[in-house]
Amino acid sequence: MTREHSYLSWRIWAVYAVLFGIAVPWYWPAEDARMWLGFPLWAVVSIVGSFGISCFTAWLFVKRWPTDDDGEDEA
Amino acid sequence: MIAAATDAIPFGPGALVFIGLYLLSMIWIGWLGMRARQENTLRDHFIGGQGVGFFVLLLTLFATQYSGNTILGFSGKAYRIGFAWLTCVHFMTAIVVTYLLFAPKLFKLAKQHAFVTPTDYLSHRFNHRGLNLLATLIMVAALSNFFLAQLTAMGRVVEGLTTLPPEIAFVWGVVVLAGIMLVYETMGGFRAVAWTDVIQGGVLALGFAVLLVLIFKEYGSMEQTTRTLLKIAPEKVLPPKAPEVRSWISYIFLLGVGAALYPQAIQRIYAAKSAKTLRKSLALMAFMPLGTALIAVLAGVTAAAHLAGELKGAGSDAVLGVMLRHIQEQSALGYGVVVLIFAAVLGAIMSTADSSLLSISSMVTKDLYAGFIRPNAGQATLTRFGKWISTVFMIALAALAVWLNNSGTKLTLVELLEMKFDMLLQLAPAFMIAIHWKGMRAGPVFAGMLIGLIFALSFFWVPAKGDGFLTMLKNSGFHPGLYALLLNIVIGVVGSWIANARSKA
Repeated sequence: MTREHSYLSWRIWAVYAVLFGIAVPWYWPAEDARMWLGFPLWAVVSIVGSFGISCFTAWLFVKRWPTDDDGEDEA
Repeated sequence: MIAAATDAIPFGPGALVFIGLYLLSMIWIGWLGMRARQENTLRDHFIGGQGVGFFVLLLTLFATQYSGNTILGFSGKAYRIGFAWLTCVHFMTAIVVTYLLFAPKLFKLAKQHAFVTPTDYLSHRFNHRGLNLLATLIMVAALSNFFLAQLTAMGRVVEGLTTLPPEIAFVWGVVVLAGIMLVYETMGGFRAVAWTDVIQGGVLALGFAVLLVLIFKEYGSMEQTTRTLLKIAPEKVLPPKAPEVRSWISYIFLLGVGAALYPQAIQRIYAAKSAKTLRKSLALMAFMPLGTALIAVLAGVTAAAHLAGELKGAGSDAVLGVMLRHIQEQSALGYGVVVLIFAAVLGAIMSTADSSLLSISSMVTKDLYAGFIRPNAGQATLTRFGKWISTVFMIALAALAVWLNNSGTKLTLVELLEMKFDMLLQLAPAFMIAIHWKGMRAGPVFAGMLIGLIFALSFFWVPAKGDGFLTMLKNSGFHPGLYALLLNIVIGVVGSWIANARSKA
């Protein structure tokens, strides 16, 4: 079974929009000085968002690479 | 701006021997690369023949993408603006995300048609000489700037290692380091560059890990740092305000897309031995910003809290050097790890510079010389020509780096080239849309790229103050290249639709 170029699916880019939406701190009050683990809370959320983007991207590369290329893997 | 940093790091004979051996090992690797040559062809010299396996590909992607600027520039910027520079973690991740858009198909085509340069893909896809020329010139110009910056960084790093006057040490730094690079690259081509990247990337990764430990050991917990900073400079801790958020978004798009289109990055996609090798390497690359850019930000923020006011303006890029001096003074172990981090910085600069030079040489040789001047030249002749091009570019840009340093002049041309990402971004429709949409036509893509490029560069002359529309765009917080890209896409896509509709009618 071959998998088409699923990286162009709108669902994938909707997930990215949500993850970057979390990672970019546009929604924090300007004077929010709360801290967590020694970091500003907004920075922790931003880093966690970045980690989420990394995990999702790695998963896409490993598990969702278009399978019509797989024949070349063993070459 | 590493001068102030390295002024403070006088290395003893042991450290200099270590650095010397480290540099000599690169020449040895270049010799090994030459011995491993399978044939005297452009693809063998510039791509490494059949390509490289997972381990080498991962480290060459890593070492190439993370330059001296990642350690020095990122920590300096975090020193200046605080946690708000976390945006660098996101744009470095966005580069890998962007590969999803074109790497799988491009890799497949590269293997089928034995591509050597990015323009090989454009030539295969569009067969349009104007487009080939324009795209090649954009890439060579952007890379020349990048290469010049690395040469300057080489000079700056060496300035503080010797007791010579800074101007003379700068020249020695550029000449010796660039000379070593030229020797191993000319001997072993891509293999030498990729194999030295294994050492340079390994030392770089180790350097970041050690730096992370040192920050906490030397300056205490992150909580202490954040609380101190909150008292003395709260704007470096509080969430970014609206203009800064716009800057975050702009950086993520500009660098995420622009840096993915660096020719040396595209050539590493070509150089993967198999799809499996490439996808595993890219999967791991997605996590690298958390182990590199994030650590550089933490170093900068820590310095902002504990070394407040010691450095100002562009000189604050030297903040890491100041931290290293403090650490070096503590113990023999501190001295050892500072030497290691110094080697990591050197590796980061050289690994980025060598891949840039090889990429420039490949494009000038294959896309300009063979493409427009001597289309019938043999492979051996072209490979020999490519080595000469590396030498000529190296000498010319090294001389320019020294002249710029001595004269303190900022050339308009160099300042223009600093808009390299705004320029590279204009290649995006040709690579990322046209690779999926067969209806994309050469003429509109060429027109979009040309107009987008002119529009982006024209912002250089737009006044920063006034009521004009372009001034408003310039001050909007988004980079000009992004506006130019929108225009570029509209021209390319709408133009193709119209052309397709006409040809059907």
